[in-house]
Amino acid sequence: MTQINLTRPVGCPVGAGRPLPSGPREHLSSPVTRSVLTIQHRMLIAARDFLSGQGFTEFLPPIVGPVTDPGARGAKQVDVDYYGHRYKLMTSAILYKQATLTAFDKIFCIAPNVRLEPLETASTSRHLAEFHQIDVEMAGASRDEILRVAEGLVKHVVQQVTARLPGELDSLGRDTSVFADLLAEPFERRTHADAVADLHGMGHGQSPDAEIDWAGEAMLSRKASKPFFVIDYPKGCRGFYDRESHERPGFLRNFDLIAPEGYGELCSGSEREHDYATIVARMRETGENPAKYGWYLQMVREGIPGSAGFGLGLERFTRYVAGLESVWQASAYPKVPGVASP
Amino acid sequence: MSELRADGFPESAVRARARSGTAGALPDLAQYGHALFGADPAQPAASRADPLDGLRLVPPVFVPGRLDKLLDLAREPVYRDVDLATVVGGFRSTLPLYLSAFGSTRAATVDLGLAASRQAGRLGIPMVVGENVMPVNGYGRIGGDAQRSLLGRITAYAAHARDEGGGVVVQQSTEDADAEVWNLVYSDPNVGSLLESGRLAFELKVGQGAKPGLGGMTVLDAATAARLADAYTMDPVFGRESGTVLRCSSPGTFTEEILRQQIRLMRNNFPRARVWVKLPPARDVGAAALVAWQAGADAVTVDGAEGGTGWAPVAFLDHVGLPLGECLRRIGEHPSCLLVSGRMWEGARVAKCLALGADAAGLGRAALIAVDTDAENGLVNLVECLALELQMLISALGKYHVDALAAEDVWSPDAAFPGSSLPPAGQRDRSDDLQPSR
Repeated sequence: MTQINLTRPVGCPVGAGRPLPSGPREHLSSPVTRSVLTIQHRMLIAARDFLSGQGFTEFLPPIVGPVTDPGARGAKQVDVDYYGHRYKLMTSAILYKQATLTAFDKIFCIAPNVRLEPLETASTSRHLAEFHQIDVEMAGASRDEILRVAEGLVKHVVQQVTARLPGELDSLGRDTSVFADLLAEPFERRTHADAVADLHGMGHGQSPDAEIDWAGEAMLSRKASKPFFVIDYPKGCRGFYDRESHERPGFLRNFDLIAPEGYGELCSGSEREHDYATIVARMRETGENPAKYGWYLQMVREGIPGSAGFGLGLERFTRYVAGLESVWQASAYPKVPGVASP
Repeated sequence: MSELRADGFPESAVRARARSGTAGALPDLAQYGHALFGADPAQPAASRADPLDGLRLVPPVFVPGRLDKLLDLAREPVYRDVDLATVVGGFRSTLPLYLSAFGSTRAATVDLGLAASRQAGRLGIPMVVGENVMPVNGYGRIGGDAQRSLLGRITAYAAHARDEGGGVVVQQSTEDADAEVWNLVYSDPNVGSLLESGRLAFELKVGQGAKPGLGGMTVLDAATAARLADAYTMDPVFGRESGTVLRCSSPGTFTEEILRQQIRLMRNNFPRARVWVKLPPARDVGAAALVAWQAGADAVTVDGAEGGTGWAPVAFLDHVGLPLGECLRRIGEHPSCLLVSGRMWEGARVAKCLALGADAAGLGRAALIAVDTDAENGLVNLVECLALELQMLISALGKYHVDALAAEDVWSPDAAFPGSSLPPAGQRDRSDDLQPSR
């Protein structure tokens, strides 16, 4: 039988992040892992408390379906042979979140996602091929409203962990004073164009038409003392469901939440497109074949509510709160891109 | 040699070159001293429909470029001093050539595809892998026949590639998006070395020369058709009793905004891969090429209506699409790399296209026939002969680098090609083409 080891993928630059453990026993029995998972458990309780308290209903998202979120940059979806049909493991719950708004106006789920990320992400310390998102969607909401939900959620979770688990944080060497600004002040909002200009000012060649690259994001993140939102990304860098601005064509009514201290992106969200013709045109702009989105387009055609929402990466958020070197430390069974592991 | 044929294409001449290499650039040696040679008057009349054939390359008497080269070399330059190395769609290439896509059509058998891949790698020229190779033949990582697959083609090229130069270009069209060809290649450890050495590109196929306005077509047996019925239209045009169906891709819906955003998304999602865009010989080819370049495409490929194909309706072959020469005229002056294909097999046609603004030419049918003639060296021989002709032609024009060819080097009997309005290719700084545009 082949022994599966947690080894680095071929061609992956070594040196970024903490070395992977030799196997699940070493990882699971480590006091560090226990502290991290204890913190993550508390974060989930706090997130559910906060969202339920705001009137959101938790639903359990599907794991496989005929189609999933195509918006993951460069990542490959996992095909599943579903009784002879090509199904996909979920890369995000976005399509189902929009559909579920026909049942409730305010929903959330803790959604598992699988994305076969490009191998270069194995060295970012913040990519996992299998991860979870705290996924939130709210019918009729504007971006301003959903940004307030995201900010409130992050603050509440950090407040709960720092108040209830000071010992665990201390054992990990996480100085809780780094959260002072986060807890006390509103999160700043800056446009993608401003972020690009900042990066150009720092000598980083960021494309104005594209997603902020990993290196650029880390540079912006290191300069900050609390999380901040980047808003108004250009159209060519996100999925078809992020709504294009009527006032500024070519720009999206979307956002990312970037953690400070170099931890980088925690969360992506947006106001959503819900108009049938716009969604079909945007599908083509994102290189998609509308034919495979049959069930979704049928629902959109019959009408789904306008909405705004976001997905907050649970392992990334845990990494930030616990002050971990690598995001894989925030998973009991980490799947680092390119590494065959249990 | 198989039964592969290419009617309407100078098949026997290509086969001769695939056997003899550079000797094919000259008349049959056996006739030396016995025969007189001159232009064949039947030739231009037969090919009047192709504007490129109507053009002539016209050397000058006064050759300041040769003087520069003379000073450089401290001796009289000769044709072998012409430098043919250039930049093709962001890749360094030994020659202004690339291997065009041939897809999963039956004529392009797996063996021919692999032979062509190996020889293109040896030659140090880029290779495009057709859009439907993966959806039809598979990728080749888990299960299936690894050799038949897309990965088989890529690894055959990589195993024979030089240390630098060349590159692999993977096509995807609308229906192939379902199979996420690009995402799979981009995240594959087997492709890591190409990606890390900057030798991977993705080509968005907007259309092709032989059937502009239609999507890809192949003829499938009933069993294969049933397997792929979810992804493609299967049209029983041959009758149910034939046991075969026509597999059709849609041409895909494009507007300016759709094309622009698809290219931006490719750059966003695959930042380490080059982006190529293949256009059909459409009436708005100039506008479409400009949108592609402005959105950041590293190369636009234009396939003239004379381009080859595995399968196309007769009406399209004979009556649809612009000839390549007219595409070049409509594109005119342009900001970035332009690649062209359509009946390319010898040096004069390639030189004319380069003079009219193209940066390199793609070999499609010629490459298939060449490897069918000689699986080991057919393409290498054909290309070496083509390269010799290019060196002779370019040196005759008083120039010593392939990038120096310009509109002044061609003459047209009609006014459709106002040479002076075309950009002198030599004035464009092609070193810029190698700079990452992001």
